[in-house]
Amino acid sequence: MTRAAAGDRAAFGVLVERYAGVARRVARAVLGNPEDADDAAQDAMLSALVKLDQYDPRRPFGPWLLRIVSNAATDRRRRRTVRRVEPLDPGLAAGGPLAELPERRRVAVVLFDVEGYSHAEIAAVLGIPEGTVRSEVFHARRRLRALLVDWKEEA
Amino acid sequence: MKEAMPFDHRPDTALGDALRRALDPGDAAPFVARVLARASEVRVASWDAVLARWARAGVAAAVFVALAAGYLVGRATAAPAARPSVYDALMAPPAHPGEVEIVLASVIGN
Repeated sequence: MTRAAAGDRAAFGVLVERYAGVARRVARAVLGNPEDADDAAQDAMLSALVKLDQYDPRRPFGPWLLRIVSNAATDRRRRRTVRRVEPLDPGLAAGGPLAELPERRRVAVVLFDVEGYSHAEIAAVLGIPEGTVRSEVFHARRRLRALLVDWKEEA
Repeated sequence: MKEAMPFDHRPDTALGDALRRALDPGDAAPFVARVLARASEVRVASWDAVLARWARAGVAAAVFVALAAGYLVGRATAAPAARPSVYDALMAPPAHPGEVEIVLASVIGN
C-alpha cells in the first residue's frame, strides 16, 4: 500500500487487478450501464491513488476503496440526467429486478451476497449504521427473490 | 434460493451467483491497462509524506497511552499528604500576630 501511494506503478497495478472486479460490479450496480460503470470505477481507482496517504492502514482496504467507488458512481449517476440507462442483463433486467431497488439497497445486497462483505464492512462503505445494512439486505433479497421467481416462471 | 429470513447473516449463494452473472464486467485486462495508463499521469504523495501521515496517528495514540499510564501509576503510588497534628497547629506561629496581643490584652485587662 505504501509503495503504491508513493508512486510505485507495479504496486498500484496489483491493487487495481485485485479490486477491479468488485469495483466494476459495485459501480455497475449503481449505474447499470457498463461503460459508465467502468468510467466511474476508473475515476474511483485514480482518486484512491491520490488519496492513498489519507487511508488508515489499521482498517481494511476494500471497504475504503469501495466507498470511493460507490461515491464516484453515485456522483456520475446524478450528473447523468439526459442519457438513458441501459438494462443490466437480459435475465435480471427482464422487468428490471435489480434496477427496481433503491441504489443503496442494490449496493448493499451486491456487497453482501456477491462480494461476501460483512454487514459491518458494508456499513463502512455506505456510511450507514450496521442495522440499516441488515435491513437493506433483507428487503433487497426479499424483492429480488420474488422478481427472479416471476422471471423464471415467465421464461 | 433460501427462504427470506430476517437479517440472515449468511450470503445467499444462488442469489449471489445470479447477481454476479448480471453484473459481470467482462475481461479485466483492458480495464486494468486503461487505469494504469491514466495513473501514470496522476501525481501522488512522496514516500516521506505517506509514512509521516500514517505514523502520525500511531505516535498520537502512543503518547496518549503513555500519559494515561503515567497518570494512573503516579496516582497509585503517591503518598497521602501528612495532616498537621494538634500540637503542630498550636505551636505554629500565628498567621496574624496582632490577634494574640489583642486576646491577651483583653484577658489581662479583665
